[in-house]
Amino acid sequence: MTLRTMRRHQGSRRAWWRASAGTVATLATVATALTAPGAAPSASATPRATLSLSTLEAGNGAYPTNTTKACKGKNPVQLEAWIWVPGLYRMVDVFNETHPGICVKLDDVGAGDTEYVKLTDAIKANSGVPDVAEVEFDELPSYEITHSVVNLAKYGANKYKKDFAPFAWQEVSQGSAVYAMPGDSGPMDLFCNSAELAKYHVTPGTTWAAFAKAAAAFHKADPKGYLTVFDPEDMQYLVSLMGQLGAFPFKWHGGSSVTVNFTGAKQMKFANYWQGLISAGGVKAAADFQNAFWSNLNNGTYACWVTSAWGPSYLAPNLTKASLGSWRTYPLPQWTAGANVAANWGGSTYPVFTASKHPAQAAEFSEWMNGTMKSWKIMYTAPSSLFPTYLPLLHDKTFLASGIPATGNTPLFDKAAAAAEHVKAVSWPPFMTYFLALTTMANVLNGKGTIPADFKTLQSTMTTYAKGQGFKVSS
Amino acid sequence: MTDVVVQNRNALPADRHSLLVRKGHGPEVRRFTRTERWGLVFILPFFVMFLFFLVIPIIYALYDSFFTTRLVGGTVFTGLSNYKTALESGAFWRGMLRTAIYAAIQVPVLIIIATFFATLFDLGVAKWGAVFRTIFFIPFAVPTVVAGVMWSFLFEDPYGPLDRILQDIGLGHFNFLGAGAPLLGSIIVIATWEWTGYTMVILFTALRSVPRDVVESAVIDGAHLGRVITRVKLPMVAPAITLVGILNIIGALQLFVEPEVLTVFTTNVSYNYTPTIYLYNQAYAAQEYNLAAAISFVLALIIIVISVAFVMVRRRKGGWI
Repeated sequence: MTLRTMRRHQGSRRAWWRASAGTVATLATVATALTAPGAAPSASATPRATLSLSTLEAGNGAYPTNTTKACKGKNPVQLEAWIWVPGLYRMVDVFNETHPGICVKLDDVGAGDTEYVKLTDAIKANSGVPDVAEVEFDELPSYEITHSVVNLAKYGANKYKKDFAPFAWQEVSQGSAVYAMPGDSGPMDLFCNSAELAKYHVTPGTTWAAFAKAAAAFHKADPKGYLTVFDPEDMQYLVSLMGQLGAFPFKWHGGSSVTVNFTGAKQMKFANYWQGLISAGGVKAAADFQNAFWSNLNNGTYACWVTSAWGPSYLAPNLTKASLGSWRTYPLPQWTAGANVAANWGGSTYPVFTASKHPAQAAEFSEWMNGTMKSWKIMYTAPSSLFPTYLPLLHDKTFLASGIPATGNTPLFDKAAAAAEHVKAVSWPPFMTYFLALTTMANVLNGKGTIPADFKTLQSTMTTYAKGQGFKVSS
Repeated sequence: MTDVVVQNRNALPADRHSLLVRKGHGPEVRRFTRTERWGLVFILPFFVMFLFFLVIPIIYALYDSFFTTRLVGGTVFTGLSNYKTALESGAFWRGMLRTAIYAAIQVPVLIIIATFFATLFDLGVAKWGAVFRTIFFIPFAVPTVVAGVMWSFLFEDPYGPLDRILQDIGLGHFNFLGAGAPLLGSIIVIATWEWTGYTMVILFTALRSVPRDVVESAVIDGAHLGRVITRVKLPMVAPAITLVGILNIIGALQLFVEPEVLTVFTTNVSYNYTPTIYLYNQAYAAQEYNLAAAISFVLALIIIVISVAFVMVRRRKGGWI
C-alpha cells in the first residue's frame, strides 16, 4: 500500500473505521472534542492536508478520485483500474492525454481488504473484474495461485527490470514470469526524536546489539521513557522486520509446496531479541497506529519508531510544537556489524487480470504508470505521496533532498532510498489475509504471553491452515 | 384470544365462504378475489426480496457447506466434514462460551432495567413521562456502529474521560478495554445502552394494553401497588417479556458490531472473539467460505435450541419470568 494499507488487516480495518467516521464526521469530531481533551488529533476525521498517504482521504471524498478527464481519440479501448491511493487521477489524466487509443477509468472501491474481497468475488463470478488493480506485495501471490493475473513478460515487462529496486522486482516475479509492475514501497529505517536522544546522550547505534544497549541506557536515564516501541501483533510489520535477519517465516515459489518456519534458529533469535528488550523494560510493547501511540511519540515517551519510508507521514499530523522539527531518520540497525541489509514494510503492485479483454493495453498502462518518470513525478507528490521502487526517482536529487516540517525540512527519504536497493526480498505465501487476521501475538502487549511462545503457536496454526488448503508444508 | 378467533371465523362474510366452493367444481378449487389479488401484488415486493436475499442465500449456503474449496486442489464435495471441523474447533467454542456468558449477563440486566422503567412510566408517577420515554428511545435510533465509536471514545485507554474521572477521584487507572472481563463488561454496557429504550417501549406498550377494569378490581379488592404490579400487570404482559427475552437472546448470541468496532481501539478483540466474528474471519480472511457457511448453520442451530429452551422453561413455569 501506500503508507496506510500496508497494514492490511488492521490497516484496512482502521481505514474502514475512518471511512465510517467520515460519514458521521460531525458526530465523531464532536465526540473527540468532548471526550478526548488530551488526545492526539489522529482520531478525528479531519483530512490531513499535506503528505498524507492515508486512504482515509479517499474514503472521505476529500480528494476527487474519479475525476479523470474525457478521453481522446475515436472509440478508445476502455480500461478500468481499481486504485485507492488518493490523487492518482492526476496521473491517469496524463496517461489518457498521451495515449489517445486508451481510456482508463479510475475507481476507488476501498483500501486493502475491502478491495481484495470485491476483487476475489468478481474473479469468482468472472464478472466485473477490473483490468488493473492495486494489490499489495504480500497479497499478489494470492492472485498468482488462482491464475488470476497475466504474465506481463509477453507485454515486454522485463525490459523495465533494470529500473526497479531488485527486491521489488523479485517479489512480483517467479523466474522470468512477471505478475505485476511494482509500485510504491516502504524501506525500513528509524525515525527518532533527536532532541530526546540528545537529552539523554543516547544514539540508536548501527547494530541491533548496540540498539539494545542504547535501549537499556535510555530507560535507565528516563525510567518513564523508552528508546522505542514494538508492536508484535502488527503481523505485517513483524514479518517484514524478520526479513532483514533472513528469518522471514514463509517461502512459496508458485507451486503446491510452502515453507512455514517460525521456530528455526533465526526466527528464535529474532523472537528472543525483542522479547528480551521488552522484558528488560528498555522497549515498550504497545499497539501501533493508536492515539496513545502517536501521543507517546510526540511527548517523548518513545524516542524512536522502527518504521518505514511512509511512517513519518502518519506520524506528522500527530505532532505538536513539542517535537516538531526535531525528528530525524537513522538507518535501520544491522544484525551483523558492517553489513548492509535492509527490510521493506508494505507497498503495492499493479497486476493485469486474466479476465481483462484488453491485456496489452492494460499492461501498457501499468508499465507506464510504474515505469516512467513522467508518472512518478506526479505520484510522489501529495496527496498521493508514494515512496517509489523506481530507481530513477530513488536517485533523483530533488526527491532525496525533500523534507517535511517534522524533520525541520532536513531530508526525509535519503536513508530509505539508500536502503531500497539493499532490501532482502521475501517470498510471500499465497494466504497472507489469513495470517494478518490472527491475533495470536496480542498477549505480548499485556504481558500474558511471550514472542517465542507465540511463534510456536503460529507455527502450528499456519501449518494446519496451509495443509487444510492442500499445500505440502515443510518447516 | 381463542374466543376472538372463533368469533372472527364465524363472522366470515358469506361471499367468502362461497369462494371455497366454486360453481360446478369441487371445493378444492379456489380463486382469489380482486381484493386478495391486490393484496398479493402488495406483498410481492417483500416476497421477492425475501426469496432472493434470504431464502435462496440460505439454501445456497447450505449447499456450499457440503463442499470444500482449497487453494491447491479446487472445490470437492466433502459431506459433513466442515460441520465436523466447526464442532471440533476450539476457537469456535471459546467464542461461543464468551458470547454465552455475555448473553447470560446482558439479557437479564437489560430486561430488568427496561421492565423497571416501563413500569415506572406506566404508573404515570414520573413527570414528563413522554419526554423521558423519547429520550430513552433515542439510543435505538443511533446506528450500532456510531454507538460503538462514541462509547469507544469514552472507554479509550488512556484518554477516555471515564478513566480520567476514576483517576481524578483517586481510584487509579483502569483500562475499560482491557483483556477479559473489562472488555466484555464494556461491551455489555454499550449493548444495554443501545437496546434498553427499545425494549422498554415494547414492554410499556404491553403494560398499557392491560385492561383498566382488571387493575381497578384488583385495587378494589385491596391489593396494594406492589401486588398490582407483580401479581396483575406483569403476569399479563408475560408474553411480551418472553418476546423481548427471545429477541435479545438471539441478538446477544449474534454479537458482532460492537466488538468489531472496538478492534480499532484495542488489540484485545481476538479473531474468534464471538462466533460471528470468527465465521466472518474464516470467510473473508481465511477464504474458507464453505467452513464459514457450516459454522453459521451450527450457530443458527444453537440459537434456535437456546430460544426454544427459553420458551419451554417459561411455559413450564407458567408465570411471568
